[in-house]
Amino acid sequence: MKRRSMLSLLGAAPALLAGSKLEAAEKKHSHARHSSMGASDKIVGLNPRGTPPAIQLIPMAPRLTTLDGKTVYLISDGFPGADVFLNEMKIWFAKNMPSVKTIYRLKAGGFAADDPKLNAEVKANGNAVIMAIGH
Amino acid sequence: MVTIAFHDLAETNAASRGVPDLRICYTPHPVWGKTPEEMYAYLEGDDPVTHKPLMPEVISALTKPLTEDEKKTGSVTPPVGPPTYAGSPDELQKYYMDNGMTDFMPIVVPTEEKVAAMLKGTSHSPDEHVGDLTPARGAFPPWSFNVHQVAVNAVMSGATPDYFPTILALAASGQSALFSSTNSLVYAAVINGPIRNKLNMNFGIGTMGPFSQPNATIGRAWGLLSKNLCNGGLPGQTYEGSQGNVINYSNLIIPENEEASPWDPLHVEKGFKKEDNVVSLFFGFGIQQAQGGWGLGIKPVPHYQEAMVCNCVPFATIFGAFIVADPLVANGLVELGFKKKSDLAAWLQKNATDTVGHLKSCLFSRPPMGPAAAGLTDDSVVPKWYRPDAFNFVVAGGETNPYHQIANMSYRMSVSIDKWA
Repeated sequence: MKRRSMLSLLGAAPALLAGSKLEAAEKKHSHARHSSMGASDKIVGLNPRGTPPAIQLIPMAPRLTTLDGKTVYLISDGFPGADVFLNEMKIWFAKNMPSVKTIYRLKAGGFAADDPKLNAEVKANGNAVIMAIGH
Repeated sequence: MVTIAFHDLAETNAASRGVPDLRICYTPHPVWGKTPEEMYAYLEGDDPVTHKPLMPEVISALTKPLTEDEKKTGSVTPPVGPPTYAGSPDELQKYYMDNGMTDFMPIVVPTEEKVAAMLKGTSHSPDEHVGDLTPARGAFPPWSFNVHQVAVNAVMSGATPDYFPTILALAASGQSALFSSTNSLVYAAVINGPIRNKLNMNFGIGTMGPFSQPNATIGRAWGLLSKNLCNGGLPGQTYEGSQGNVINYSNLIIPENEEASPWDPLHVEKGFKKEDNVVSLFFGFGIQQAQGGWGLGIKPVPHYQEAMVCNCVPFATIFGAFIVADPLVANGLVELGFKKKSDLAAWLQKNATDTVGHLKSCLFSRPPMGPAAAGLTDDSVVPKWYRPDAFNFVVAGGETNPYHQIANMSYRMSVSIDKWA
């Protein structure tokens, strides 16, 4: 698993997991209480973070052995220029892999919104999806 | 496929949604604005992350067999670090900052004693669920938080316990002050009701400046909790504002000067009673000084409303216009015949106009559509906003000069502060 992905999956800023002398000391002193406010005295601060949701790992769809003769959906999430970009990709496939059938679609709704109707169409008629994601 | 500018965001999002090894290919940035020929050249070139030819990589992403990691199922609960940190005061200041938990200014270290004191500011129990927060709904899964977790952030900001119900109301709104958009969007929060005086909030001279502990720390607390309660404010991951926005330092807390205003206060307009304590949120691009060349009381009559029309010219209609008027301006407008805020809103909606052609050319504005567009040409002059409620007004300031400020921001919601007392 890529490190950055792992850190992101862990829901924390990368620095938090980089480790520090303070963190090592914390394990020893997590129940410490300060007795006076001298500069060198230890005090204990609380973690300000909220509670992230559990992440359900989603296994990726099995891969195709080849794209030859397959139908690939080219889907835009609606960001400016995506339609032009995916049309160029359509041209690339026609030129370099003419047996691949490409179908362009614009996903309905906002950038992050699901499009169940399009998902159903792809499931029924397609073999693969290339999605251009921007904002 | 994503452009390289959003590499961290793409990887973070994929991981937080359960597909940490999502096969993502990258293009140079930007795509928007490039010619078809330039975009084709991207396809013929290299992925800027792997430096390998892009289209063979795309094909490989669809055909290379899955690894064992890519087939994994199950549930993972992301850890958020230990519940406490121990060290000297200086060590803790550095630790909180180095680990992305501050706004890069010194904090009040949230010890158990200080948090316990903060919790006395509300009757709600520490483990009561307050709400859910995310840097952008739909883009990031929301995190949940309780009263205790909000209290920790409130202590860090320098707030006192009597500010806590207002901070809880902001947290309960579910709106992150550090909204994740490349447009550096921000919030403003208007405070109404007797609580303004109880907390000694500043709604006079310098109201929107750093001249009051409650104004400053309530806003700061909102920023800190927007960062910590939902993993927000991480540039490149959960914050994408290209230039950022200076408002985020204290998030524009505006107590309304109800006493000097000739109009109904904002919360009364929104259906609350005058004696209710309420915070109302506005959202958009930010606020600016609005006097310009039309500004002050130009003889023979002040041009306040005409200045406001001029101020709106560059505004996008995706958001409304939110005007913060000094009491001198508000009273001046009443003398000009705008007895109520709704009178001014109606006048501005009618007179803040643009051509259909220009509205069509603006990314974040929209010309009339459907039946409303019948008979219109690109040269037709139409109101920029369809409805007067696009305009909102708050009176604040110390009457040393008849100034107003104007924001390309929309009213979002009002939340009861009293609920969190």
